Amino acid sequence: MIGFFILGLILHAAAMAMPAMLRDDRLLNRAVNLLNALALMCSLLFSLNSLLASQPWELRLALPMVGTIPLSCDGITLFFLFTFQLLSLAGSVYAIGYLEQYVKRGIRIRWHLVSFTLLIISMQLVVVVQHALAFLIAWEMMAVSAYFCIVLEKEKPEVRRGAFWYFAATHASALFLYVFFILLHDRTGSWKFADFARQTGWDAGTLTLLLVTGFLGFAIKAGFMPFHAWLPNAHPAAPAHVSGLLSAINIKAGIYGIVRMFIFFPSDRQAFGWAMLAVALVSAIGGVWYALAQHEMKRLLAYHSVENIGIIGLGLAVAWLGRCVGSPDLVALGLAGALLHTLNHAIFKALLFFGVGNVHLYAHTSDIEKLGGLAKALPVTGVVFLIGAVSICGLPPFNGFLSEFLIYKSFFQGGGLMGGHAPLALLVAAVSLAFVGGLAVACFTKLYGIVFLGENRSKFPARFGHEAISSVTVLAGLATLCASIGFVPGAALRLIVPALGEMTGLPETRLGVELIAPLAGLTPVFGLLLAMTLLTLVVKLLVQKKAGVRLRETWGCGYRNVTARMQYSASSFAEELVKLGQPMIGLKLHWKPIADVLPEPRVFKSHGYDQIEQGLWVRLDRAIGRALMLLRWIQSGNIRHYVVYIFAALLIYLVIAFAFVW
Amino acid sequence: MVTFSSNPISWLGFLALAAGAPLLNGIVNILKARLSGRLGASVLQPYFDLMRLAQKETIYSRNSGFITRLAPVVVWNTTAFAVLLLPVGPFPASISFDGDIILLAYLLGLGRFLQILAALDVASSFEGMGASREARFAVFAEPIFFFTFGSLALVTGRFSLQSIISGIAWDKPLFPIFIVVSSISIFFLMITECSRMPVDDPNTHLELTMIHEVMILDASGFDLMLYQHAASLKLLLYAFLVTSLLNPFGWLEPAVGVALVLGVLAVLATCLAAIETLMARFRLVLVPQFLLYATVIGVLNILIFTFSH
Repeated sequence: MIGFFILGLILHAAAMAMPAMLRDDRLLNRAVNLLNALALMCSLLFSLNSLLASQPWELRLALPMVGTIPLSCDGITLFFLFTFQLLSLAGSVYAIGYLEQYVKRGIRIRWHLVSFTLLIISMQLVVVVQHALAFLIAWEMMAVSAYFCIVLEKEKPEVRRGAFWYFAATHASALFLYVFFILLHDRTGSWKFADFARQTGWDAGTLTLLLVTGFLGFAIKAGFMPFHAWLPNAHPAAPAHVSGLLSAINIKAGIYGIVRMFIFFPSDRQAFGWAMLAVALVSAIGGVWYALAQHEMKRLLAYHSVENIGIIGLGLAVAWLGRCVGSPDLVALGLAGALLHTLNHAIFKALLFFGVGNVHLYAHTSDIEKLGGLAKALPVTGVVFLIGAVSICGLPPFNGFLSEFLIYKSFFQGGGLMGGHAPLALLVAAVSLAFVGGLAVACFTKLYGIVFLGENRSKFPARFGHEAISSVTVLAGLATLCASIGFVPGAALRLIVPALGEMTGLPETRLGVELIAPLAGLTPVFGLLLAMTLLTLVVKLLVQKKAGVRLRETWGCGYRNVTARMQYSASSFAEELVKLGQPMIGLKLHWKPIADVLPEPRVFKSHGYDQIEQGLWVRLDRAIGRALMLLRWIQSGNIRHYVVYIFAALLIYLVIAFAFVW
Repeated sequence: MVTFSSNPISWLGFLALAAGAPLLNGIVNILKARLSGRLGASVLQPYFDLMRLAQKETIYSRNSGFITRLAPVVVWNTTAFAVLLLPVGPFPASISFDGDIILLAYLLGLGRFLQILAALDVASSFEGMGASREARFAVFAEPIFFFTFGSLALVTGRFSLQSIISGIAWDKPLFPIFIVVSSISIFFLMITECSRMPVDDPNTHLELTMIHEVMILDASGFDLMLYQHAASLKLLLYAFLVTSLLNPFGWLEPAVGVALVLGVLAVLATCLAAIETLMARFRLVLVPQFLLYATVIGVLNILIFTFSH
């Protein structure tokens, strides 16, 4: 089966070579993306087969100078590999239709296609290599190629700005990871992940330092609050297929890293679990509350990624606590919730971002306040976006419900297992998750209701067929996945069983009974719900056929000249909830009160801004900038000074070499 | 494990609840009329209204799409399905499994989601206003449910509605206080979720001030019937949650248990009627405060309970 994976990599390489051969951008777009799709189908065959057969795979790559690099696919790697490949496949096919507009506008996409392919390859490499140096190289490849994917429209200043946020954040993440892995190497004398896991007898200080640097490094990538500021800036800058993949899989590399950390370290640090729980709760609540204040669709969805990463973090935190109290069942439950939510979030978030891409192609804006009534103009997008919105709110019978259900369950099971104040803390976490659910419903009814329902708020050209076949296929496929994981959860849970088995040491049969069977039992429950709903629908249609149906104007309380501009707007819909979040959620209002008898025309504007971004990171950046200004005199611009610096540096190295090495 | 009750009475009980739901509305209405010195309509009036609506022609807004046509069906079915998870009297719930309380809350959430969308579907500013309020109050209402049933789940160590209820023991010290205060939380929740006074005024005729009623301004005929019936079913659902917290069949003779359930239902109906007669509707900005009080009651409740053990 590994042959398929290698074949996939060869096809990716062929896709990267395409730009050298094809002149026509339109043809090139199709060739590269189709080759990538084909490659991903091959490698999906490998990961799916290995997952279902619980067949780990390992290879030792002997390289000159560096030594052996272990590549291996254990259950955890396979699960993430599967998720990454599945969503990359969706992204590649979606890109075929989406990139067409750039070709039409004469924007060169060759380097974009190369970096997009490189991103897909490096995402897969990140999870496969089990060697710290190789991991860091793959991590950097992923970061840089994603940066080049984002800057497709680099002539726009907001794109350059958003991409820079990404670039800075991803390197802050890498900085912590360098410290993390070098420390690990220093303590274990090896670069191999397997040796890290074998190491015992950590001293308290080092362990704390490792946990903190590792978590910070991966949390910045994953977008936990308060390290989330790059997400809402980078996502709107990127083209839709890239922002979909950024949110669906790129940030999940951070989650993968945190899951790996579970294996590296002993399980006696409860404080770390509680800290993770706190960070995850802040991310979940803060993410969704900030999302509510946004007017730009991609920005809104980016904040929802922060929320969902928080929900995944809740499951991970419970799993960590489960290890501390020595309960493999609790570890399995928390981790199952986290991993399933990773897959689920990847699916519906890609679906939502691709849907926004279609909206953007049609209306040339993703400003919620300017849109409306799109369900009529974009029928397929209208339906699948609804499915995505219901799924992301965690509502049954779709996939989001199942992962949140597992996480709720882990809270209550953990509460029963742990003594002291733990049950209360976990109860608070469960209640907060319900609060997050309520806010998510408010946010997605706002998004879907304002954008897709009602009437157009501005004039769009009345043209149909703006849903490319490739995008319709992908969207329908992803929506089907949301529904089928929701209805038949047993199948999706099979994919995470190998990972759970490795982490907990529980046999598969036990996991099947404890974890899969209760959820698989939901299939007939949802089936009954669906049957009841269909039956009621049929009865309703029959009754209405007999009693008659008429079309009339909407009730305007007696007012006749209703226009589309009088509809409720997104800011009014969310206003009260956003106000309640003051001053945590920044909200700026621009208006002047009416003072004179004959008032001039007035303007009212409101926009949300990110307190953490502005108050913490931008301020920190300025402080660092000011501090570095003190060293400006070093950069004199005089070449003779630079020669002296080089000479001085050489001298210092020589002194060090003589004094310490010999 | 998901258990579908093999006892036909469980399923018949569901039908009885569905059929009896409008009666509770009728009783509240007549009590309210009497308390304010009116004669009031017959207790069966809600049934007549529903029958009249079912026969009427349906009028759709020109602006509306598939959501408007789908939402009433989903709203009714999610509410009805939530009722299926309730244990009826001494009999097991029709469907029961570990964590069904979560499904119950989220099913109502799904219904709410579609209801809000249906309100936004007709491009009216009034209905958007109601939708926004519904979404806002739900944000504060849902945690109350989780607080109450979550703490009950922790205290009893069980996780399905049926086993939680049967795990409530009256002979243990502090349990009675705990249950009674929890019932108050649920009662607050009932007032909010079922759009009763002082959160929402079901009888107002001003579109600007309504919540639930304004969202269904453009619904008519069979659709409106489904909405109305779902609303009365929801009221009964919450009333039943309050009565079942007392676990009357766990420690009483069945006949006494039935009498107790009916008695508590009557008390709840009287409370609703009395509140609606005596109080004016809150200003909308006060509603979240009202719900936070209910949450705080829940918090104090669980704190007292855990620290005294």
